[in-house]
Amino acid sequence: MAYIELENVSFCYPGQSRPVLREINLSILNKGVTAITGANGSGKTTLSKLLTGILLPTKGRIKLNGQLLTSLTLTQIGRQIGYVFQNPDKQLFCETVEEEIAFGVRNLGLPPDQAAQKVREVMDYFELTRHAQAYPLSLSAGEKRRLALAAVFALEPGLLLLDEPTTGLDPYRKKLLGDYLDKMLAAGRGVVLISHDQKFINRYATRLMGLQDGQFIEE
Amino acid sequence: MTGLDPRTKIVIIICLSTLAVFLNEPWPLLLLFVFTLVVLLLMRINFFRMAMRFKKLLPLLLLMLIIQSVFTAGGEVMFSFQGVHILTTNGIHSSLCILFRLLTFFSSAMIIMTSNSKDYVLALVQLKIPYEIAFMVLVALRFLPVFIEEIRDTLVAMQLRGIDLQRIPWRHKIKFYTHLFAPLLSSVMLKAHQLAITMEARAFRIYRRRTYLRLLQYRVADYVVMGFFVIATIAVLTRGFLY
Repeated sequence: MAYIELENVSFCYPGQSRPVLREINLSILNKGVTAITGANGSGKTTLSKLLTGILLPTKGRIKLNGQLLTSLTLTQIGRQIGYVFQNPDKQLFCETVEEEIAFGVRNLGLPPDQAAQKVREVMDYFELTRHAQAYPLSLSAGEKRRLALAAVFALEPGLLLLDEPTTGLDPYRKKLLGDYLDKMLAAGRGVVLISHDQKFINRYATRLMGLQDGQFIEE
Repeated sequence: MTGLDPRTKIVIIICLSTLAVFLNEPWPLLLLFVFTLVVLLLMRINFFRMAMRFKKLLPLLLLMLIIQSVFTAGGEVMFSFQGVHILTTNGIHSSLCILFRLLTFFSSAMIIMTSNSKDYVLALVQLKIPYEIAFMVLVALRFLPVFIEEIRDTLVAMQLRGIDLQRIPWRHKIKFYTHLFAPLLSSVMLKAHQLAITMEARAFRIYRRRTYLRLLQYRVADYVVMGFFVIATIAVLTRGFLY
């Protein structure tokens, strides 16, 4: 069964007559890396916001694990889909890097020692340990992106949705991200990758979708 | 009326707000609010559509009216509980005044939307307000929607990381809302810093004298409308509506 299923989904921003997405039909499994590409303004980020319930379709319906997305709260969706925003500044709100990663982990209901252990592991993996007590928004652009990724990865969602995740990452950290994606796949989880980074997509994507003027033109 | 000079619109807003502040009886305030709605209609602003955007603030408004009603003593007691006067005629009078006053403020402020923000900067400059201050007003207007969007995004990010803001108790909710201010403050500081550098890079204040591509010109309609509002405001304020 598809993890996410879109049926005839259209979306139009309020006050605009031209729809951003038109009659989209799509099934996403929680395995493999689905890459979505397209020119600026083709509707990629809008699609990612629809998949995470941040926006609601003006037409059609979206199901997550067989349940209508409209019947779920953002909190319930967040447990199943990990979403990394295009601009990481928008999802960093805690006082320290450690707090930022721990915020979601604490909400998983893990015992305190296990939660602390998990936070340490994630910080180590993303090479953020030396910034543990730093203010997240004072980090460099690449570090902020790594932190946003780390905070979402720590929740171990069934599907990861990454909007332009390689922006600001150097080749070494892109490889690190790729390795983590491989790890996610090995653990039976899926990834949706929205990116312009053709090299990264070619290396990791198992399915490639092209979006143009609000419709998929190729797969 | 949509084509009026921005300075005329500023005068209209000042007149309506001044009346709302000084009038202190529900009926004149209700009349003032209805008159403001007529002005909005003439300016082709849909008040009710705009008001619907703020419907989430309605419980707060209702709570404020109830508190105002309970804490205003005097008049005839309409409802009391164990000797404590909960509802009095003075309380209702006071809360109705506040309701109509707030509605007038809110609706008169909508007039500002009928002109471009750049026109208001020009208007302020031509009203002899220093350009730096007028520019700051423009920047505030320009960035307000950006900050609102940032708050929304942070709220979404918090919920996606497991916080159900609908279900957690108020005392915890307040704690989570404090998370909104750190990124917002940081973003304001960062944007202000970047803007200052960009402005200096584009020669802001390099010469003392600034010229403008366009100058605002009053028309006959502006003089008529401005005259009407100023005279009417003075007349109402001096004609015994003050209590």
